[in-house]
Amino acid sequence: MADFDRGALVTGWSFKPSSVSFHKLSALLTLALLIFAFSFGNDAFFTVNNGLTVLLQTSVIGLLGIGMTLVIITGGIDLSVGSVLALSGVMTGLSIKAGVPVAPAMAIGVVTGAVCGLVNGFVITKMRITPFVATLGMMLIARGLALQLTGAAPISRLGEAFGLLGNGSLFRIVEKTGGIFPKVVFAGIPYPAILLAVAVVGAAYLLNRRQSGRHIYATGSNEEAARLSGVLVDRTKIFAYTLSGAMAGLAGNVLMSRLVTVQPNEGVMYELDAIAAAVIGGASLMGGVGNISGTMIGAFIIGVLRNGLNMAGVSAFIQQIVIGVIVILAVYVDQVRNRR
Amino acid sequence: MSQPAPAAAQQTAPPLVQMENIEKHFGGINAVNGVSLDLYPGEVVGVLGHNGAGKSCLMRILSGAMIPNEGTIRVRGEVVNLQTPHHARDLGIETIYQTLALADHLNAPANLFLGRELKTRFGNLDDARMMTETVRVLKKLNPNFKNLNDPVSSLSGGQRQVIAIARAIYFNVKILIMDEPTAALGPSETAMVGDLIKQLRKEGIGIFLVCHDMHDVFELCDRVVVMNKGTCVGSHDILDVTKDDVLSLIIKGELPADWVPRNRGKEQ
Repeated sequence: MADFDRGALVTGWSFKPSSVSFHKLSALLTLALLIFAFSFGNDAFFTVNNGLTVLLQTSVIGLLGIGMTLVIITGGIDLSVGSVLALSGVMTGLSIKAGVPVAPAMAIGVVTGAVCGLVNGFVITKMRITPFVATLGMMLIARGLALQLTGAAPISRLGEAFGLLGNGSLFRIVEKTGGIFPKVVFAGIPYPAILLAVAVVGAAYLLNRRQSGRHIYATGSNEEAARLSGVLVDRTKIFAYTLSGAMAGLAGNVLMSRLVTVQPNEGVMYELDAIAAAVIGGASLMGGVGNISGTMIGAFIIGVLRNGLNMAGVSAFIQQIVIGVIVILAVYVDQVRNRR
Repeated sequence: MSQPAPAAAQQTAPPLVQMENIEKHFGGINAVNGVSLDLYPGEVVGVLGHNGAGKSCLMRILSGAMIPNEGTIRVRGEVVNLQTPHHARDLGIETIYQTLALADHLNAPANLFLGRELKTRFGNLDDARMMTETVRVLKKLNPNFKNLNDPVSSLSGGQRQVIAIARAIYFNVKILIMDEPTAALGPSETAMVGDLIKQLRKEGIGIFLVCHDMHDVFELCDRVVVMNKGTCVGSHDILDVTKDDVLSLIIKGELPADWVPRNRGKEQ
C-alpha cells in the first residue's frame, strides 16, 4: 500500500513528513497502541483467529470507507451508503428468488448501488443541490424502496451459494478428527477481506496513478481552478458518487451474504462509520485531502476498538461513546498541528 | 520612457483574435456591452478600466470560462464558439487568472499539468516526466525554485504566480491573457514578468494584459484599450497617449477635451 502514497513516488523518503503522512503516522500509532493495550487485557485478542475476525468485521466499513473517501476528497459527502447497502442486498435477494443465479444476482445488486450513486451525482451536479441534502434524500429513498420491495420482511432461504462470499475463506485448513466437528487448524483468509484488499489496491491506484484520481483531488481542492484548467468537474463528481454507490452495493452483498439472509433494515448508520473511518484516516471534509490507506487505518481503529471492547465486556453504548471521542480527537489533533 | 517599437509587420499580419460586438448580461446588468477588440501577433494590448468595468468579464469570455450572450469571436480568422476553457486552450488561448486558479493541495507539477496530465504508455500518470518538465520550465522563470513536491498552498505568493505563469506558457501558447500578473509580486519578480512579456512578444505571441499599474502599462504595452461601464471607450496606440489621457479615459470614460495624439501633435 505504501507504494501508492502521494509524494513518495518522486522524492522517496524525506525527513520532513508532509501533513498527510504525519496524520497517517499518528493514526497508525493509535492503532498499534490499541492493539497493544487490548492484547494485555485479553490473551485471546492477539491471536490469528481473532485477527481474521477483525478483518472480517472491518471489511464492510472498509468497503464503504473507500467509496466515502473518494467522495469526501471531491469536497462532498455521501449519507446514502447505509441505505444503498440495504437496497442493493434486497435487489440481489429478489433476483435470486426470481431464479437468477447467485453471481449475476450479486452483480445486479452492485449495479443497483452504482445507479443510486449515479443519481446522487446527477442531482448534485445538474440540479445543483448540495451533497448533504442530495444524499440525505437518497438515504430516505433507498431505505424506503428496500422496505417497500420486501414488505419490511427479511428474505431468507437464499441457498448455500449466497452465503459463500460472506462466510467462505481461502486457504482454510481443516483436520478431520472423526468426531462431529472437524478441527480447524487455520480459519483461512475470509473472502470479504480479500475483496477489501483488492478494492483498496484498485482505489489507491485510481487516486494516485490515474488522471481521474488526480482530477478528484483537484476538484475538491479548488473546484473553480479545476474547471478553468479544463477538468470536467461535473463528470469527476458523478464518477466519485457512482463508485461510492457501487462500493455500498458490494458491501451490501458481503454483509447480507454473511447473514445468508437479506435484511432490508440492515446498515442503518453505517454511513457514519464510513465517514468516521475516512476522517480518522486524515480526510478533510473541506475536500482535497485524504487517501485510501489512511481510511483503512481509520476503519481498523474502529474495528479493533469494537472487537477489543466487546472482548473486554464493554457495552455497545460505551463503545459508541469511545468511537465518538476518537473521531473528535483525530480531527482536533489535525487542526492543532495545522494551526502551527 | 522606453517605447516598444510597433513593428510594421504586426499590422499587416492577420489578427490573432477578433472579438466583435461582445455582450454579456447578468440579469438586468450589462457587464459587457457591444465591445469589439482585436489582437495581432506580437502585440501587447493593455486592457484597462475600473473594477467592474467589464474587463475581467471580457477576458473570461475569451478564455472560455464564460459564454457571451451576443457577438462573434474569431481566432486566426475563423469564427469559434468557445464553450469551455478546454476548448480555448486547444486553440492556443492561455490565461493567467488573477486568482491564479491553483489547486492548493496539489504540488507544482500536478498544478502545471492539471487537465493535461502526461501519461505513460499504459495511461498511468507519468509523475516522473511531469516533474522533470516542471523543473525545466520553472528553472527558466525562477532559478531558485525548490520544494516542488510541497502542496502549492505552502509556497510564497511569488512562487505560486510563477507556477501559474509556467502553466500558461508551457503548452504552445499563441494568445496569452494575463489578469494582473504582477499584483502579488515583489520588484525583482515583477521585472522577471516584464522580461517574459517582452520575450513572448518577440516570439509572435499576442498578449492581453489586464493591469492597474500605469508604469507597467507604458513600459510593456503597444496599445491600450480602456473599458468603462461595460463599453470600450478607447483603443489607442501607446505612443499617442499620455498617462493623464489614459487616466481620463478610465475615470471619465473620455479623453481630455483638448486631446491630440501625443506623437502626431509633436510632429506638426
